[in-house]
Amino acid sequence: MIGARGPGDLRDALAQTIVGQSGVIEALLLALLCNGHVLLEGPPGLAKTLACRSLAAALEGEFKRIQFTPDLLPSDIVGTRIFDQRESAFATVLGPIFANVVLADEINRAPAKVQSALLEAMQERQVTIGPQSFALPDPFVVMATMNPLDSEGTYALPIAQMDRFLMKVNVGYPTSAEELKILDRFAVADTQPVRAVATLDDVRAWRDEAHNVHIDEKLKRYIVDLVTITRNAANVIVASHGGASLRAAELIDYGASPRATLALAFLARARALLDGRDFALPDDVRAVAPHALRHRIGFNYRLATDGVAADRVIDAMIAAIPAP
Amino acid sequence: MVSRTAALIVAALAATALPASSQALARLTVQSFALATDTARPRVDVPFHLIVTLRVRDRIDRVANLELPMLADLELLGDERQTVSSPRGSLYRETITVVSHSTGAIAVAPATLQAIDARDSKPKQWYTNGLTLQIVGGAGPGVRPQVLLGPALFTLRVLLWIAGLGCIAIVLLLLFRRRRASIAVVSAPAPAAPLPVLRSPREQLADALLVLRTERTRSAAVRVRRAVWRILGANDGETLGDVLRRRESADATMRQLLVALERSAFTYDHDLRAAIEDACSALERQIDSLA
Repeated sequence: MIGARGPGDLRDALAQTIVGQSGVIEALLLALLCNGHVLLEGPPGLAKTLACRSLAAALEGEFKRIQFTPDLLPSDIVGTRIFDQRESAFATVLGPIFANVVLADEINRAPAKVQSALLEAMQERQVTIGPQSFALPDPFVVMATMNPLDSEGTYALPIAQMDRFLMKVNVGYPTSAEELKILDRFAVADTQPVRAVATLDDVRAWRDEAHNVHIDEKLKRYIVDLVTITRNAANVIVASHGGASLRAAELIDYGASPRATLALAFLARARALLDGRDFALPDDVRAVAPHALRHRIGFNYRLATDGVAADRVIDAMIAAIPAP
Repeated sequence: MVSRTAALIVAALAATALPASSQALARLTVQSFALATDTARPRVDVPFHLIVTLRVRDRIDRVANLELPMLADLELLGDERQTVSSPRGSLYRETITVVSHSTGAIAVAPATLQAIDARDSKPKQWYTNGLTLQIVGGAGPGVRPQVLLGPALFTLRVLLWIAGLGCIAIVLLLLFRRRRASIAVVSAPAPAAPLPVLRSPREQLADALLVLRTERTRSAAVRVRRAVWRILGANDGETLGDVLRRRESADATMRQLLVALERSAFTYDHDLRAAIEDACSALERQIDSLA
């Protein structure tokens, strides 16, 4: 089914360098297999850069990091044309987006036109500089981060833009045991080198395999039910911070789009492949559902006023649909 | 014979295929819930009936979440359901026509019913009694005398019916007069006491193996998967991950079985045959480990 060198090997290689953060590693690999992009939300210092750099190294690919700031320009990302005095002609200088793994750090610190430039490139997989279009490398994965702690002077991403990300993963702090391991592992050197375990050609082959992973009809119905309930969650009850029972529908302005349905199916397939299977299981769907739905549901102000965590509402909706 | 026997198990498993949690449990006041047979000594190759009777104080049109026992040793010939409702309650009767092709003792496990008990609003599971049938050989010599005595027996039966109806009329008249005199407060009879399931997990797994071997289809695999989950106490709507986290699934052989059944329920069509074969082997190993 899966050759000797599978995506599972890549995961193992990354786990040897990065302590904990299995969610981030899995998200990166799933995005890679689905040809999608990841949005990460979490405080700084949680090995997000290390994860991206390690992934690129493990694939013998190129890694670039872009720090988003309020004065960033679209040309700082995609590239620009400069005048070459020796040649007396304009030459194109490609931006940092031309890499296999791109870390867009604190994407919400840049204004909307810069965010749009990145998201358009993510969607189109090509950029146009002057009269010429340039295809982005393949594979191409963007991992964008947002810091939830320091929101002053930020530009929130509209839901329509966030919908372009295949998944959104909330990154939490490591456990005490993991933190002790981090101390031991990084006491000598800042980072541990990652050995290359696969090539970019392998990734392209895995993507084809992921595409062919079987999804049973029962699972397809389960996926559709999971997305549909986000649009009509009148019967899902969630407890507020104060202990009051609220209907999930009262907290949601609009539910997930059909893009969420597709994302769920892609991600379930990729997770099955990562697990060494060529058929998806309900566990795959349920595991990826929060990541595929989190940024696609429009919650209203009551979420904040009633003190309900968005993830709790999503968990309640997922729990309301029995797995096949 | 094997296929028809399997059909019976499949029918029984099909009753379990409807997930209890996926549909709302009915709110019922169960008065009695029993399993009976119309003959004390069924004969080999002679059809007889298993009758499940449920009496409730509520008005119902149908009964959901009633599960028939797995009947691996009997051949199913028919199944008839009847619900009679009145303002005072409802009587549900399911008559299963079966036949045995071999002599000996057959244990029939209790039927089960899941519902919300209207008395305390708690979800409960009721069990009927179990049955042990002693199947005896041949149609026997009693047929011919019965034919000869036919007219006399008929007359006797008519007289007995008339006498019986008369008695019922007198009792009803007395009850009616007493009710008019005073409205008696009738305490709700206790629900049928839960009885232990007679069929062991090993026997249920053996039934499941027979089903899977006979009907190598996806739907059979799904039903067997659900039946095995129920043996472990897992609820419908859980995933394999949830079931594997249960204490009852700690055994390595059982875990292999659960994984194999999951594969047969969700794998692609070309792999189905191999997956079911794998699940059958895993079932055999689990049955052996329970011996």
